[in-house]
Amino acid sequence: METEMKFKQLLTQYTGLQPENISNDMRFREDLSMSSLDFMTLLGDIEDEFDIEFEESDQVHITTVGEAIELLGRYL
Amino acid sequence: MTTYKLTPAQNMHNIWIHNYGTQQVSGVSIVAALKAPMEFSLLEECIREEYRRSGCLRLQFTKPDKKGNVKQYIVSKEKPMGEIKLVDLSGLTYDEADSTMQHWAYETFDGDNIPMCEFRLVKLPQGYNGLFVHMDHRLIDASGMVGIMGDLFGLYASKVFGTKQPDTPADFKEVLLKDLEKCSNERRLEKDRRFWAEQLDTLGEPLYSDIRGRGVLEASRQKHNAPELRAADIVLDDLFVAVKDYYLEPEPASRVMKFCERNQISPTNLLLLTIRTYLSKVNGGQEDITIQNFISRRSTIDEWHSGGSRTIMFPCRTVIGRDTEFLNAALEIQLLQNRIYMHSNYDPALIAEEMKRRYNTPDNTSYESCYLTYQPVSVSTNSGRLKGIPMLVKWFANGAATKKMYLTVSHTDRGEMKFSYHYQTACYDDKDMELLYYYMMKIMFKGINEPYLTVGEIMDSI
Repeated sequence: METEMKFKQLLTQYTGLQPENISNDMRFREDLSMSSLDFMTLLGDIEDEFDIEFEESDQVHITTVGEAIELLGRYL
Repeated sequence: MTTYKLTPAQNMHNIWIHNYGTQQVSGVSIVAALKAPMEFSLLEECIREEYRRSGCLRLQFTKPDKKGNVKQYIVSKEKPMGEIKLVDLSGLTYDEADSTMQHWAYETFDGDNIPMCEFRLVKLPQGYNGLFVHMDHRLIDASGMVGIMGDLFGLYASKVFGTKQPDTPADFKEVLLKDLEKCSNERRLEKDRRFWAEQLDTLGEPLYSDIRGRGVLEASRQKHNAPELRAADIVLDDLFVAVKDYYLEPEPASRVMKFCERNQISPTNLLLLTIRTYLSKVNGGQEDITIQNFISRRSTIDEWHSGGSRTIMFPCRTVIGRDTEFLNAALEIQLLQNRIYMHSNYDPALIAEEMKRRYNTPDNTSYESCYLTYQPVSVSTNSGRLKGIPMLVKWFANGAATKKMYLTVSHTDRGEMKFSYHYQTACYDDKDMELLYYYMMKIMFKGINEPYLTVGEIMDSI
């Protein structure tokens, strides 16, 4: 839960939406209007925040907030 | 006084200033005017208020060291900005007024520890009134400039019509510090270094391609007596730049954007594919092509609303065979670009250094002839009562190009796509640009109409 909240707080900086208004089924591109640059920059911030390093092959499959949180969970 | 290092994006401009020996290469200028009477005293008040609101406008630089390195600092908002002149050009023809402003754009900010931006209030022909801004690119990029102009007109509308004041911009200093922290993060730096090294490990030394074909590289090979040379000379002593603009009409422009939307390809990547296909065609089918692409690194809300110079260029190098389908080629470029985005905090000067170290290329040579920037945002007045008033917006070339050909693609408020080619006259002429635009359109539309054609089939058919 703490991971999810931290992740959504990061996402707030990109979307302006409060964490409680970000649901896990939201899609980065279609629902949150994030460009590829935004998404990749967000991944970089997550890596810094959680001190992890994503495999590139994992990154391409993420389309929703829930998928990103699940992926993050696997690295922690 | 607290001084800070330059960010990689600022450093890119600083290196050009040092290498080309003039600040002129870092000038950026724009005029924005409304076809309406203006209360210039109020507009001046708004400019002074914007100067206090936007920290990037108050940036100054220390004296460069021997290598040209400078530090930056933010002047206190309490220190008043200098004089803002009102210049009346309304009695001139439009072309004469344009020529006057073009000369302002050629001016340089010479000296250290001095303001690096200048505003003028302007009365223009045909009833247009507004302001002209001339700045150093280390303070601002095009997106930042668009934001500041929008903010200024918002402030003006609030003073004249009592509309809501625009929101306070994000704190420039905070965003700057975050940027500096990111680019000095050792772990991140190492990851970026690995990524860029891997590009060279995998593909080896890049190969130059020119808008005019193989002759340019051959001439460099002869000059350096190096038949295997893969980079071509750049021009340092004649930086004069000319501009050729083309407008793609709203209907075909809309087809381009719909293709991008339908296939989830960003317009930048479609443009990169289009240019690389042209370069491949005129360079004997060369498959290894590099184009420098500018990325406007604005993702967080604060980054969008803090002004500053965040645009940075990275080489987009792809090796795409003739048999690759157009759509797949676009996706291949997109995949690479996405990987580059992840590493866009890196300083491109370090990539250039690494290539120089590995391949020992002669000084003042390059692997690229084309530079691209796609600029989706444009200056507009969305502030209540100003909305709908005809607006004149024009960006002026600084007159000194560091790049052989720099293409800016943007959208007009009439729904067109604007292709603005800035080229060094020492390298190209307007005929080259005409051909480039003509073939770019042929390639792009052939590709979006028949995305399953191969790149080779498209090259052969045009």
